Amino acid sequence: MSVWNPDNITDVAESVGIHSLPKDVVDHLARDVEYRIAQVLEEALKFMRKGKRVTLGTQDISHALRLLDVEPLYGYESTRPLRFGEASLGGMERLFYVEDEEVEFEKLVNSALPKVPREMSFTAHWLAVEGVQPSIPQNPMTNADGRSQDQRSQDLIPKTSSSTSDGLSVKPAVKHVLSKELQLYFERICAAILDDTVPNHSDLRNAAYASVRSDTGLSQLVPYFMHFISDKITHSLRSLTVLTHVLQLVAALLDNPFLDLAPYVPSMIPAVLTCLIGRNLGTPADGMAHFALRNLASSILLRLLRKFGNKAKSLRPRAAKSAVKAWLDPSKPFGSHYGAVLALTSIAGTDGVRSLIVPNLDVYDGILREGLADDSRREHAEAVVAAIMKALQTLEEDGSGSHGANGLPDGQALRQKLVDAVGEVIGNRVFETGGSALIAAVLEKDLFA
Amino acid sequence: MLRRESDYHERQSQLNGVRPDDNPGDKYFRTYNLVKQWVESALEVHKTELKRLLWPMFVYCFLDCVEEYVPKEAERFFASYRKQFETEHSDDIRALSLLRYPEHTRVNDTAQIYLNNKYRVTLSTAAFSTLIQHIEANEIFGGTQALVTIQKYFNIVTVDRAASGEDRSLAKLLSQGADDDMPREDEGIPGHKPGSANTSSNAPDRLIKVNLGQLPMEPELMEDVKAELAAEDAANPPGPGRNTLLDEFEQRIKCEPTDDAPSRDTLPLPPSLARDVAMEVQRVKENRDRFRIEGRTGGVAPALSVTMFTFHNTFDSLNCIEFSGDYTLVAVGTSESYIRIWSLTNEPLTSPLDPSTHQPSSSRRLIGHSGPVYALSFSPSLAIPQAEGGPDTRLLLSGSQDGSVRLWSLETFTCLVAYNGHASPVWDVRFSPHGHYFVSASADRTARMWSTDHISPLRLFVGHDSDAECAIWHPNSTYVFTGSGGVERNIRMWDVNRGTAVRLFTGHTGNITSLACSPNGRTLASGDDKGDIMIWDIGSGRLGKRLRGHGKGGIWSMDWCVEGTVLVSGGADGTVRVWDIQGAVPTDQGKVVAEGGQGTKVDSVGVNGVGIVGGGAATARKGKGKEAVVSPEQVSAFPTKKSPVYKVKFTESNLVMAGGAYLP
Repeated sequence: MSVWNPDNITDVAESVGIHSLPKDVVDHLARDVEYRIAQVLEEALKFMRKGKRVTLGTQDISHALRLLDVEPLYGYESTRPLRFGEASLGGMERLFYVEDEEVEFEKLVNSALPKVPREMSFTAHWLAVEGVQPSIPQNPMTNADGRSQDQRSQDLIPKTSSSTSDGLSVKPAVKHVLSKELQLYFERICAAILDDTVPNHSDLRNAAYASVRSDTGLSQLVPYFMHFISDKITHSLRSLTVLTHVLQLVAALLDNPFLDLAPYVPSMIPAVLTCLIGRNLGTPADGMAHFALRNLASSILLRLLRKFGNKAKSLRPRAAKSAVKAWLDPSKPFGSHYGAVLALTSIAGTDGVRSLIVPNLDVYDGILREGLADDSRREHAEAVVAAIMKALQTLEEDGSGSHGANGLPDGQALRQKLVDAVGEVIGNRVFETGGSALIAAVLEKDLFA
Repeated sequence: MLRRESDYHERQSQLNGVRPDDNPGDKYFRTYNLVKQWVESALEVHKTELKRLLWPMFVYCFLDCVEEYVPKEAERFFASYRKQFETEHSDDIRALSLLRYPEHTRVNDTAQIYLNNKYRVTLSTAAFSTLIQHIEANEIFGGTQALVTIQKYFNIVTVDRAASGEDRSLAKLLSQGADDDMPREDEGIPGHKPGSANTSSNAPDRLIKVNLGQLPMEPELMEDVKAELAAEDAANPPGPGRNTLLDEFEQRIKCEPTDDAPSRDTLPLPPSLARDVAMEVQRVKENRDRFRIEGRTGGVAPALSVTMFTFHNTFDSLNCIEFSGDYTLVAVGTSESYIRIWSLTNEPLTSPLDPSTHQPSSSRRLIGHSGPVYALSFSPSLAIPQAEGGPDTRLLLSGSQDGSVRLWSLETFTCLVAYNGHASPVWDVRFSPHGHYFVSASADRTARMWSTDHISPLRLFVGHDSDAECAIWHPNSTYVFTGSGGVERNIRMWDVNRGTAVRLFTGHTGNITSLACSPNGRTLASGDDKGDIMIWDIGSGRLGKRLRGHGKGGIWSMDWCVEGTVLVSGGADGTVRVWDIQGAVPTDQGKVVAEGGQGTKVDSVGVNGVGIVGGGAATARKGKGKEAVVSPEQVSAFPTKKSPVYKVKFTESNLVMAGGAYLP
C-alpha cells in the first residue's frame, strides 16, 4: 500500500476521460508516482544541503525539477513555509490544500506599507583568545568554573524548522533559553527568600542573598528576577515580610558587581516606589512596622539613583514627581506621606529639600495639624514630622545656608517668622530644636525672597 | 554450528512452504534470513568481518526482488530489515526505500551503482570457507539463491589472517567492538585496492607515484625575492633572537625535499610580476612573525585565537562565505542569486566606473547569476602593506545553480567572464594556489579545470558516479581533489596534467562536504555531513585517522595551520573545533582510534578525573561523550551562539578566521 492515495490516480484518470481504470493499474501507478516524488525529494535535498540549510524550501523543489528536466511548478515559490489547510470530505477522507489568505483589496491599499526587512550585516568578535573562549555576550554562556553550558542549552533548543525565513519579520524573535542549572538555581533562590515554614530559615535566606550578591553567571537570570520582584510586590502588599525579603533581594542584586542592571532600572523603580509610598502596606495590625519597610525602600532607591541616575536622565524628575504628588495628596495616609518625604530626600538631595519640601511645608501644615489632633493617627503623623525634620537637618548639614544668623529676630518673633514660613507644626519644632544653622536654612528662602 | 530452536521452527515452516508455485519474492526473505542468522550465530572471531556482508546482501536481495516485479514483497522485505542499517547507510536507505519496479531501478542512481558494480568485501580465509560451507549445506533453505547473489554481485577478497600480520590480527578484530562498525577503506562499491584509483580487479599492486613536493620557484623570481628580502633586512634589522628574513627564506627552501617535487614545466604559469615578488616577501615575513604552533607537548594543547564573523539578518539565505587572502574583503553567496562583498576594514569600495552621484559604501553587490550562488573563491593574495591603493585581491570566482562560473573584477566590481560548460549546478569552484587556473565541481558528475584566459575547460575530470560536491587544489597546483556525495561518497585525486585519477579514498558514510590538504601536501583531511573527519595519507592512499566530535550536519569548512600539525574545522553544529594531527601517518596515535571498542571506557576514565591525552578542553567534552564519542585528537571546541560555521581559515600567521550566519 502506498502512502500516495491511489484515489488521486483515479481522479486524474477520470479528468482525462478514462473512466474504468483497473485496480492493479491504479496501484501500479500510485507506486510509481510515489517513487517519482521520492526522486524529486532526493534531488531537492541536495540543494538544501548545498544551501547549508535544514529546511527544505519550495525553491529547492523547483531546482530539483529543473535538474531532472521537468517543468517546475509555478506559483508555489515562497521563502516562507507554506501553510496547509485541512478539510474533511466526510468520513475518514481528508484533503490538504495550500491555504491562501483572502485579502481585502480596500484594506491592502489603505494599510501602511510593511516594514522593510533589515539589511544583512556582519559583526566580528573573538570566539577564542589563546585557546580560551572569552565570556562576552557574543559567545555562549560559560559558568564560573569555566565549563561550557552551551552544549546543554543547545540540546534544550528543540530542533524546530526555522520559520524565521519570513521575509517580513523585522525583529527576529530571539528565544531565551535557560539551562537546567540556572532554572534550578532560580527556583531555589526564590523558595529560600519566600519560604518561612522552615525553622532557622534566616540562615538559608542569608545564604541566598550572599549567593545573589556575589555569583558571576547570573546575568541570564536578571529578567526573571525582575519579573519575580515586581510580581511579588504587586501581589503581596499585605505581607510586610514578603515585601522586606523582596526588597532585600533587590539590594543583593544591586550589590552584585557582575550584573549590568541598567536596562532593568525602569522596571525596578516602580517596585521600590511602591514599597516606599504605597497607600496600604501590610495589615493594620502591623502598626508602625511598615515605616521600617519604607526606610529600607528609601535606602534602596537612593542606591539605585546613585548607581544609575547619571545614565537615565529622566529617572530623577519622574520619581520626584510621583513622590511630590503622593506627599501633597491629603487622601493618602501618613505612611505614604512619610515615604514620599523620604523619597524626596533621597531622590533630590538637599536641593530637592530646599526646592520641593520647604516651599510646600506651608500647605502641608494643615494636614499635619489635623493628624496630630487625631489620636488614632498621631503616632503616624509624628513619624512624618520626624521625617521632615530629618530632611531639614540635611539642609543644615549641607551648610550652604550657614551664612550666619545675622538679622534674625529673637524669641517669639523668630518663632512667628518660622511658623509663617513653614507652618505651625514644623515651625515650632524647628524653633524648639533651636539650631541657628537649621533655622537659617529653613528661612533661607525668605531671606532671599 | 549453533542454531536456536526458534530458527529451527521457522526453517521447518519454510521447508513446508517450498512449492513450485511459491511466491517469487519469498526466496529473498529466506536467503537474507539464512545469511543473517548465520552471521549472528557465528563465532565472535568472525563476527565483525562477516557482519559487513549483511548490508550488501540486503541491498542485492532487495534489488533482485524489485527486478522480479513483486512490489509488495519488495516493500515488505525492505521494511522488515532496514532497521539495522539506519545509522550507517541512512542516505542509501532513503534513496532505495521507494523503489518498486524494474523501471525504477533503471533510473535510480543508487540502484544502478549497486547493480553495475561488484561490492568488495574482505574476509579472512577461514571465515569465507565457513560461509561457503554453510550456504552449500543449506541449499534448500535459500542457499542456492545466496550463492547466486554472491557470485553475481560480490567481489570477496580473501586474505590469510596469519600472513597479513597485525593489520587483521585476531586481537585487533576482537578489539573492534560495535562502536567501530564502519566500512573499511577497501570495502564497498568501487572495490579497489586501498588508495588506488584503478578499480579493475587485476589492477597492479603498485600505486601510481605522485609528486607531492612544493612546486619549485622560478629562478628569476627567487633571485628577485632574495634581493628584496636582503634590502628589507638592511632597512629593518630583526630583533635579537630572530632570524633575518633571508635566513628564514633559505631555510624554507632547504627544508623542502626536492626529490618528489613536480618539475616547473608541468604547470605553465604566466611570468611573475612585481606583485608576486611582494607577495612572496610578505609571506616570508608573516611566516617568521607568526604565532608558532609547535604541536602538543606534554599534553598542552596549542592555544589558538579565533575571530568569528557573524552575519545577521540573513534569513537563512546565505550559501557560502569566503575571506580574501589579504583579509580586506569578505564575500557571501546568497540563494537570491547575488554576491555581496564587504570591506573588512570598513573602507568604501569604489570603482572607476561609478557615476559621480554614486554614494561610496563599504559593501557592494555583484549581480549576474540566475540561480543561488553556491561557491566563491578569491584569487590568491596576501596583505602587502606598501601596496598602493585599494584591496590587493583582484579577482573573484563564483559558481552557481545556473551552471555557470563567473569571474568578477574587484577593481570595477563587474563580471568579466562567464564560463559556461557545466550542464548542471556548479557546487564548488576554487582558484589554484598559484592563481591563473581554477577548478569547478558540478552536479553533472564532472570536475573541470579552467584557466582564466580560456572560456572552455582545459581538463575534464570524469569518473565520479554521483555529484562532484567539493573540489580543492593540492598546494603545488599539479593535483586536484574532488569529493562526491550521493551514493558514492569518495574522494578522488586527479593529475592535472594527464587528467586521470591517481588516488581514490573511500570510507565516508556521509556526503563529503569539505576537503583540506595540508600545506606540506602529504595529508588530506575530508569532512562529511555525519560529522566525521578523516585524515588520509596521500602518498600511500591509506586512511590515517578518523576524527569524531562534530555533531550531525555538514562540516562546512576545514583548514590546516601553517605547520600542518593542527586542523581546524567548522560545521553546521555551530562549533569551531581544533584537532591535533601530529604526524600524518598513524603511529602510536593511530592505535587510540583503532581501539575504538574501548572508546567508552576511555571516556569514563576521563570523567573520573584520571588524566587523558586530550588536555583540559577535551576533558570537559568527555562528559558529553556518552552519546557522541569525541576523538582524543580534539584539542578544543568553541561553540558559537546559534551560528552554523560556514568557513574557517588560518591566516599566514596562524590566526583563525571563522564566518557563520546567526540563525535564531
